[in-house]
Amino acid sequence: MDRPHRLAPPRRAGRGLSRSLHTGALSSPACSSRAGIVCLLPCSVLFAFALHNTLGMEPRTLELFYDVLSPYSWLGFEVLCRYQHLWNVKLQLRPTLIAGVMSDCGNNSPAMLPRKGQYLSKEIPLLGQHFQVPISVPKDFFGVILKKGSLNAMRFLTAVSMEQPEMLEKVSRELWMRIWSRDEDITESQSILAAAEKAGMATEQAQKFLGKMTTAQVKDKLKETTEAACKYGAFGLPFTVAHVDGKTHMLFGSDRMELLAYLLGEKWMGPVPPTPGATL
Amino acid sequence: MDRPHRLAPPRRAGRGLSRSLHTGALSSPACSSRAGIVCLLPCSVLFAFALHNTLGMEPRTLELFYDVLSPYSWLGFEVLCRYQHLWNVKLQLRPTLIAGVMSDCGNNSPAMLPRKGQYLSNEIPLLGQHFQVPISVPKDFFGVILKKGTLNAMRFLTAVSMEQPEMLENVSRELWMRIWSRDEDITESQSILAAAEKAGMATEQAQKFLGKMTTAQVKDKLKETTEAACKYGAFGLPFTVAHVDGKTHMFFGSDRMELLAYLLGEKWMGPVPPTPGATL
Repeated sequence: MDRPHRLAPPRRAGRGLSRSLHTGALSSPACSSRAGIVCLLPCSVLFAFALHNTLGMEPRTLELFYDVLSPYSWLGFEVLCRYQHLWNVKLQLRPTLIAGVMSDCGNNSPAMLPRKGQYLSKEIPLLGQHFQVPISVPKDFFGVILKKGSLNAMRFLTAVSMEQPEMLEKVSRELWMRIWSRDEDITESQSILAAAEKAGMATEQAQKFLGKMTTAQVKDKLKETTEAACKYGAFGLPFTVAHVDGKTHMLFGSDRMELLAYLLGEKWMGPVPPTPGATL
Repeated sequence: MDRPHRLAPPRRAGRGLSRSLHTGALSSPACSSRAGIVCLLPCSVLFAFALHNTLGMEPRTLELFYDVLSPYSWLGFEVLCRYQHLWNVKLQLRPTLIAGVMSDCGNNSPAMLPRKGQYLSNEIPLLGQHFQVPISVPKDFFGVILKKGTLNAMRFLTAVSMEQPEMLENVSRELWMRIWSRDEDITESQSILAAAEKAGMATEQAQKFLGKMTTAQVKDKLKETTEAACKYGAFGLPFTVAHVDGKTHMFFGSDRMELLAYLLGEKWMGPVPPTPGATL
């Protein structure tokens, strides 16, 4: 499987000019002339520091609301996982229940309309090639989506997000690999355990999370995340919320990443951006 | 308004090696040795010609099924109008009735779901900026979409496509400019006339097409195109059908153009590709 690229993140540290100004680094109205000279030195240092900081910016937070039941969530997820190391962003993965989002606003899975379902089953493999994601439509498409759902898997991921967020990307990916690449179950505890172990989680730790799956705390957290998505206006997944200059921008679908790049002032290099060491 | 780029098309002439082979240009089993030498000369010329032709390829036909009622159709239309001069393709504009496509498969306008409608009205202006298309959501969104429709406009465009197809792009654009940029009517004859004139059509000619709008021939042609879209599997518009190596590939939406580029083996340079004379 083609793994998403792991790159050294080009982190840009610094707080930005506005914050330095607010701390009063550049204001010195009360300085007398002698004190003025004394003030001048640290002020100029601070000014230089603030100027340097305008070149850096706080990473912009991207919240990705996703459900492993959703194939387009996988595509969007992989793209953002690649770009999180290239753009000045901080990616926050938010496990969400797509069934909850749909029912909250009266929407349906596109697969419910026969002609849409037909279209999706054709374009998904092609998108998989383009995105270099080994996605494959499960044989029993309707059985998977409608009947089995992904409640346990999303509760498991929620538990992981609460206690071991650094594992969230890998475990999510392994769940997608099961359902949307190898057409394997993700509803049974054994299935979820297998995915977690494949992701590199110790069996003991995975068992612990399996236990937490049914606690009120985890159930509530998943509900809360799902409600947050709805509050942002989500009617389906994947749903990306970009926090830029104090504003929130909502983008639906795996096909809005180039638009996201435009919004962030970042470079779009397709769904499979080059890694730093690659010869072009 | 930023007009789509007009570029000298990098046409690649030639029929391809396979066709030359089929005409028997390279087969000469029956040549005797003396006749062989005589055969050799023209054969080598033909071989060189065929070889040269493999470097060229037939332009791939792209059919774009669209309706001026559809804002995403406008975005897809502008992108393809730009790339038709950059890629080895032949763009065929197919005026279609979106209402007909929807009803044929039991689909609805996304605007019918409140949360989707809210989302669309937020993202359309942003997409307009990114695509450099002066798109603006009409004040009475639901009134426009549901009540007035676009039957007359699409019949007019159908008439144009049948007799003056070289005007189809300009006239389609002016109709979109009315409804989706200046929030003006496109149902009245006067409105359609104004759009056609703005597109550079002589008033007399435009009046002729207005007359043809209500003929059985034009009505049937629009029905036929709409049915063709449905037969290709369309459930909405814009719908792009790419004919590549004897296969048809279907793409729904204005956000599948990068995927189309991938399929065609062409370069994607974003929704606003550079013109040849531009300094980069």
